[in-house]
Amino acid sequence: MKLDIVLRAVVFALCLALSFVASAERSAQDILAASDAIRNPSKSFAVTVTMLEYRSGKQTDENTLTIYSKADATNGQYRSLIRFVAPQRDADKLMLKNGNDLWFYDPSSKASIRLSPQQRLLGQASNGDVVTVNLAKDYKAELLGEEDVADGERVMRRSYKLGLAAASPDVTYHRVEMWVETTSSRPIKARFFAESGHLLKTAYYRKYQMQLGNERPTEVVIIDGLDPSWVTVLRYSDYAWREVPDAWLQRDYLPRFKPS
Amino acid sequence: MRWIAKNIALLLCAAGSAHAAGSGDAPADDLDALSLADKAPTAAPKESLQWRAFVEGAGGVGRLRQDTSKFSILRGSFDFRADAALAQGLRAVFSDRLDLVDSDGVPPGENVNTLREAYLSWARTEDQVLDLGRVNIRNGAAMGFNPTDWFKANALRAIVNPDPAVLRENRQGTVVLQGQQLWSRASLTAAFSPRLARSADSATFALNVGATNPENRYLMAGSYKLSDKMNPQLLVYGGEDTPPQVGLNLSALVGDSAVAYGEFTVGKGASLIAQALTLPEPQSYQQRAALGLTYTTGFNLSLTAEAQYSSAAPTASQWDDLPGAVQQQLLLTAQSLQDLPTRSQLFFFAAWKDAIVQRFDLSGFLRQDLQTNSQALWLEGRYSWQSAELALQWQLYTGSAGSLYAAVPQSQTIQLVLRMYL
Repeated sequence: MKLDIVLRAVVFALCLALSFVASAERSAQDILAASDAIRNPSKSFAVTVTMLEYRSGKQTDENTLTIYSKADATNGQYRSLIRFVAPQRDADKLMLKNGNDLWFYDPSSKASIRLSPQQRLLGQASNGDVVTVNLAKDYKAELLGEEDVADGERVMRRSYKLGLAAASPDVTYHRVEMWVETTSSRPIKARFFAESGHLLKTAYYRKYQMQLGNERPTEVVIIDGLDPSWVTVLRYSDYAWREVPDAWLQRDYLPRFKPS
Repeated sequence: MRWIAKNIALLLCAAGSAHAAGSGDAPADDLDALSLADKAPTAAPKESLQWRAFVEGAGGVGRLRQDTSKFSILRGSFDFRADAALAQGLRAVFSDRLDLVDSDGVPPGENVNTLREAYLSWARTEDQVLDLGRVNIRNGAAMGFNPTDWFKANALRAIVNPDPAVLRENRQGTVVLQGQQLWSRASLTAAFSPRLARSADSATFALNVGATNPENRYLMAGSYKLSDKMNPQLLVYGGEDTPPQVGLNLSALVGDSAVAYGEFTVGKGASLIAQALTLPEPQSYQQRAALGLTYTTGFNLSLTAEAQYSSAAPTASQWDDLPGAVQQQLLLTAQSLQDLPTRSQLFFFAAWKDAIVQRFDLSGFLRQDLQTNSQALWLEGRYSWQSAELALQWQLYTGSAGSLYAAVPQSQTIQLVLRMYL
């Protein structure tokens, strides 16, 4: 009889522990999804990205891109069409990103070339850094704790620290650490790691402004993991709701793309 | 007393800095980066232009194979491309290039204007488009040899750079009426290219439609996205003097660092020897193929290896049987048709963006002819500023006497090229 009571108590305790773990995991995923919703507008949209690249304190490059993004109805992940605006030698080149389905189009040679995710067209920033990505669709989040962390404006923020593990081998980064403000779900900063464990880059999300109905970061500062003097500033402007037809988001439309 | 006060002050400073470097504070490197970002210029983003133009000057020297004499090349070019929306759904594209070349090499320099494109495009809806005019219709998944790129034949007027991407860019389009229907995962294109003239025109500003529209031709291309990793394209091409040709383009992602691709065509046609010598040879089924893989390293160096095959081109023994003058004629014909000059070749291409220093790109290719064991090599280093580029290009043809690339008149050239965007 006594044994039965002990067993029941153990099973109850296990169930309680398991349900607590499950709830914590669900909660971490919810936090990540909430921070995604801060970064990413809920409907299809267009935004201009100015990329300023610095090496050892000196500006070495500048690119301007316009990005058209739309969430895929089937999996919730964003599909993006990226148009190069400046410098002039790259003007009107296009990149189509649908997960790992990546195409590059050059209007001069009329060539649509499939790219591998490893191929970078934009210096330090990976192709995935500049476009909209729903991290909650690609990563499994774990709540690592709560801590005060300095944001991009050097203000201390009470934050959830999340550990993100790649849900599939197709994603850009193997592991991510992310800090999300507890009260607002704003992403504060993130550290991106390679499979080997070394730090690839750190990103600060800052300069929050009201854009498309929400306070969103309008600047991301990316710091290289190996060479911290290699800094890229991504500045987001001209947010606008924009209908993005499905036909735009396939390879054979690239030669046709001419936004009005 | 002063010593004690100094040490107390030091201890207080140390305690203060320890607090500043607490676990929640940003590391010093991050603070430096954020300070840098604070000072970044805040100008309004650049506006998209409806045109692009540049002038280019080049100077170089080369060596002729026959008498090992030197020759020089001087070139000035003006390149213009405009792509403007005229009204809702109506778009006009104009693309032209003028090359003024002075050279005492083989062939000698000449002045050539290439009207690459001039067409109107009307999008009836987002997924239905009609084009009318001279359009550079380009198909093909491969990098060094594109069997399905049928409209490449006789499309080149001036070769200023042997980089395959530049050859695809600096060519004349074909005058065409083309329609395209798009779906979310598929597309279907039909094009009709009418006969406008029978022979090419070498005058500097000639439209040269005899080269691009010598017969009534058609092209149909359909693609369907099977998955994120596979999007094949099937093509059918033919004309009043061209039996139907069937083509297939495939590319697929292999892991996150490599892309494999293949391009195949089959159809009746004449051999390259018959085309070069205009022999009345009966047409037979010809197969052409290119199969390759591009691998990108973690430091953004892309390496491509491609195997190329054409049953229409001569084998080693067929090549060896040809007199020297005919070998040169065959090479010129292959160059004009942009077809493979011998039965099989290997093509290796490397492109390294931001090599060693930022804004410096290195690229190059090696064509290894498997039939006659000869090589064509091209290397380029290019440094870019916001509105200018400076490039150094080196081209080398090697092979024993009687081999394919020994038939090229020049053995090597080196050129310095400066481009200024306007």
